[in-house]
This record gives sequence, C-alpha cells and structure tokens, in this order.
Amino acid sequence: MLRNRPIPGRRIALVLASAAPLLAAAPARSDETCQSPYMAKITGLEDFVYVWTLGVEGLGDGSDKLVTVDARETSPTFGKPIHAASIGGRHEAHHGGFTDDRRHFWAAGLSDSRIFIFDVATDPAKPRLVRVIDDFVAASGGAAGPHGAYALPGRMLIPSLSNRHGTGRAALVEYSNEGDYIATHWLPTDAEPNGARIEARADGYGYDARVLPRRNVMLTSSFTGLENYMRPLGDLMKDGEAMKRFGQTMVLWDFHARQPRTVLSVPGVPLEIRWAWGPQHTYAFTSTALTSKLWLVREDEPGAWSAKPVAEIGDPATLPVPVDISLSADDRTLFVDTFMDGTTRVFDVSDPDRPRQIYEKKIGAQLNMVSQSWDGKRIYYTSSLLANWDKTGAENEQFLKAYGWNGRELSPRFAIDFTAERLGRPHMMAFGAASLYAP
Amino acid sequence: MRPASLLGLAALLASVASSAQDALAHEGHAPRPEAAAAFPIPAPGSYRLPPIKRAAGGTVLDEAGKTVDLLRRDRPGDGRGVTVLALIYTRCGDVCPLASADMARLQDLAAKDPGLARRMRLITLSFDPEHDTPEVMRSFAAAWRSADPAAPAWTFLTAPDRAALAPILAAYGQRVDAGPSGVLNHVFRAFLIDPEGRVRNIYSLDFFEPALVLTDIRTLLLDGSGTGGGPGR
Repeated sequence: MLRNRPIPGRRIALVLASAAPLLAAAPARSDETCQSPYMAKITGLEDFVYVWTLGVEGLGDGSDKLVTVDARETSPTFGKPIHAASIGGRHEAHHGGFTDDRRHFWAAGLSDSRIFIFDVATDPAKPRLVRVIDDFVAASGGAAGPHGAYALPGRMLIPSLSNRHGTGRAALVEYSNEGDYIATHWLPTDAEPNGARIEARADGYGYDARVLPRRNVMLTSSFTGLENYMRPLGDLMKDGEAMKRFGQTMVLWDFHARQPRTVLSVPGVPLEIRWAWGPQHTYAFTSTALTSKLWLVREDEPGAWSAKPVAEIGDPATLPVPVDISLSADDRTLFVDTFMDGTTRVFDVSDPDRPRQIYEKKIGAQLNMVSQSWDGKRIYYTSSLLANWDKTGAENEQFLKAYGWNGRELSPRFAIDFTAERLGRPHMMAFGAASLYAP
Repeated sequence: MRPASLLGLAALLASVASSAQDALAHEGHAPRPEAAAAFPIPAPGSYRLPPIKRAAGGTVLDEAGKTVDLLRRDRPGDGRGVTVLALIYTRCGDVCPLASADMARLQDLAAKDPGLARRMRLITLSFDPEHDTPEVMRSFAAAWRSADPAAPAWTFLTAPDRAALAPILAAYGQRVDAGPSGVLNHVFRAFLIDPEGRVRNIYSLDFFEPALVLTDIRTLLLDGSGTGGGPGR
C-alpha cells in the first residue's frame, strides 16, 4: 500500500532535499522487542540491562533498587552489576518502563502504590532517582497496585492491579511525562460495562496494557487484586474462594477514545500481551498462567476481534505457570517462561494459529521474566515473581542469566547471582544505551 | 487549493521515510490512504480530552523576523480557538517532512469547513535556530502553506537563539540532541492546545492523522469551555 499524499509542486525540492539522507543509511536494529511502539529505539547493541529488583530483608541494604548490569562485551565489567540505585525500603518492586523519549525509567511498587522515576539519560550507567509519585491512589480516584509503565506520546499509561479496597477492580491511569496525574479509566465490569460488548463476563481485573497504533486499539489483560498478590502463595492456593478471584478476561479498547469495546473471554489469568510487529500482522499473543495455554487475539475483520487458545505450554496438569513471553521482531519466535519448572520454551509462531515448540531449556529452579534483543541474538532471564510467591529454601534462586540464541539453542553468556551479590530479587529488565543520548 | 499531487514522489518519500523512522522509534508507520484514516474515527464529542499540562509561550521570531510570543494571538488571521503546534526542523530527513505533510493535509481538510477553520490555527516551530532563520522559515512556509483563503492560519516560527528556545522545549518536554552530520535526534510530537492555553493531546506521527486531529478540535470546541468536564476521557 502506498502513502498517497498531495504534495504541491513547489514543495518538491524541499521534500527531495529532506529525503536524501534517508537513502544512505540503514542502521542496525538491536533494541529489545516487546516495548511500547512510541519509544525511542536503540540502534546499536544494548550497553546496559537495568533490573528493577525487590529488596530482601537482611540482604545488602534490604531495599528495592534499580540495578545496572554491564552488557558491553568489550568492557572489563561485562556481565557484572556495576551500579545499584537504591530507593530505601521495600515496595514490592515489580514492573516499569521508559518514557517515550527514553530519558526516564518509571518503576512501580505493588504494595504501597509508589512510583519511582529514574533519570537514565544523564549517566546511563548510573540511573538516579529524581522523583517519587506517592499519591497514586488518591490522585487516581482509588486505583492501587501500579503494575507497569507504558510510554505514550508525552505521557505514561499505568495499568493498576487493584484499588484502595485491595480487590481486583483495576484501572488504567495516565500521567504526564513530568509526573502529573491526567486521567483514570476503569476496567469494565458486568455492572459498569461502559459501552463494551461482553462475551461472557466482565470481571474488571487488570494487568498488562498494550497499544497497536495503526488499528487504534489497546488490549488489556487481567490478574488479581492486592489481597491475593500480597498473600503467601501456599495460603492463597488453599483458599478456594480467593482462587476464584483471578482474571478471566481481556479487553479490547478504542485507544484514542479510551473506551472499552469488547470484553473477550480468556479464562485462566491472561498476563503479558505481545502485539506482532509486522505491518499486516493484526494479532497479539498472551499466555494464561493457571491453564498454561498460549492464546491468539486477532482482528478477524475490521473492528471484529476474537481470542482463541492455540497451544499448550508444557503439561498444564502439572501447573507450570507461564509468566512472561517475548516475541521476536520478525514475529516468528516466541519465548515463553514458566515459573514453577524454571523452564523457557521456544515456539515457532510463524503460523500464529499453530504455534509449534522447537526448543526448551531449564534455566533455574524458578523463572520469571525474559527479554530479547531486537536482532533476536541475546536473551536475558530473571527469576523473581513476587516476594511471597517466590520459592523458598534452596529453590529460591535469584539470578539474571544471559544467553546467546542462534535460532536452535541457547548458549550461556553470563550469569549473576543476585543473592550472592546481596542485591535482592531481580524482576523487570530494560535495555539502556549511551548512544541514545548524544553528547 | 494546492497543485496536483505527485503520487509517485509522495509514495517514494513515504516508503523511504517509513523505514528510516524505524531507527528512531519502535512505531511502524503504515502508509495511510489520503481519503480515509486507517481506523474508524470516533464521533466529535463522544470522548473527552483531559488537560495534560499548561502550554508554554516563549520568545520566538515570526517569518518577518519580528519578536513575538509563541502562543500570543496578535498575528493576522490568528483568530481565537484551538492551536495545533508541531515542533520540527527544516533540514530533518525523516519524520519532519511527513509531519509537515500531515499539517498541510490538516490545513486542506479544515479549509472545507470555514467556520471551523476560523476557530483554529496551525503553528510550526523550528528547534534549529542556527539554520532555521526567519528567512528560511519564510521560504519553508511558501512551500507548505495553502493559499486558500478559507484555510486556517498556519504560521512558521523560529527562535532567536538556543537560550530563548531552551525553556520552550523544556516546557513541552521536547528533547533535541545533536547527532553526527548536524542531525537533530528527537521524537516527533505535536500538541493540541485549547483556547485556555492547556495541552489537551500529544500526537506521535502515528496518530497525527488530519481527520483525527480535526475531530479532536471539534471535540474541544463542542466542549465549550474546553475544560473536558472532569476526570477521565
């Protein structure tokens, strides 16, 4: 399809002059996949991996911190933690994200709803805490448990997991890049559908939120509220009533209007969402934690969206608990991490209706996040899920492990023991590069 | 109206610039047809645009080299109403020409509704004061601006120097970093500013769709006071 724009004749010289530099260079593509499409992009190799790390009482300073891992292979400190920006106290460090200009990293705490804003531009090796948002609950009108931080133009979108009552009713909350509150959009429920068509039910839970700009749609997924995610996992799983209070839905939104259009039935706790990148690929994947399935969400015809399970992840009967997924930039390879068996599985998803597992490897005793470079050659893993859900004793391994991927198998590059380094429980990873910030 | 389209050139520019944009941001800019947006446009007034922040003024130069305030309404044809502000530089080789083409399409589209056109204006501000002098902006304007008397006003401004520019860029959160060969690395943003001087939307190139921007403008004007009427959108 061609872009047909009227360009007056007198503009031609200017346009050609402007276009000329484009014809010369084709920069390398090596940023992380699975990021907001609005964000500035790393065009070389990543220099650093920032790791939002949950503090452990009695370990180091015991505080949550943003750890910088040196990913420069020529550096004498390659594969080592080189900086830790401690924030003081433990706030159930979980997810975070860069602003659209990638100058700041917003890191959220699930327990007390604080959001910590780090300057990563002034010295990319040493992020610096520059602001704390501590009125998230009050400003948002009652949303709590800020989960991620997703870049929009000049703004950040913060999906919450909970509310001031600790239940699973969740909202999407917008802030300006400067850290000022803008708006709250509550997830639809059966009682308050807000105009959405409901396939089965609307539970109002939240988790991830991701935008496909060219179709003006946003997709959200659903987890559980603070009363569940802050509870020890063993206790929780014995509580049949509490176990009913988990997400069973995904919501398709009119992004520009911020209005829910369809509540899709996706039972089993759909978590991370990954839109395909291809310009004709109007679909997304998610995985369901409790039923261990891969789901495909697709626009079947303009404005008509559906969700269907397309593959099982491991043996669902053994409750592997898929937690994070990462889609390659060419939409052909999907990495899926399962927490309980500490295993990463790689699926060929070139036919999105029929994912086919092509590889698996046990990374550790427990496993959570996976991030891959844009060229698909470098894969990073971390171990921690939630303070009260991580395994205990010898199985409480806390690590970042880096691998190379050649399309067939993973080969170790380096590993960091976050307990031995007295850092804490590593969770969300994000790539940094000094080249983003020209002198 | 402007002269006839040169579709082949436009398509070439679009496809080349689209691939180059990948170097700057993750968003993929699927070419959009002239006649229709890539997705349904919501009805004006069916959604809200909550205020994001105050829109800053600042000392700039108009095309004649006269010192003016960025948002002051003392220029001929400025009218009252909604402002669309785009930040670019004229030597830009990737997103800026596409953004200026979108501004031109917005101006053309608005001209079809003279009542609306009188209640809005377009401003292009350069963040390259060393190169983009008022003279350069004047010739740039001549290349892009419609001569249609029904079209909304479109002014092309620049800053007298970097010192005057810095607070404006800071207020809009627009980072500009000098790269090799004079390239100014930036993430393109345009701002929708209501009559009360508040930013009501911020557009990346993906959502800088003229029909959508016009719908946002109509939404603000339907809103009357332009306040958005409470939390949420």
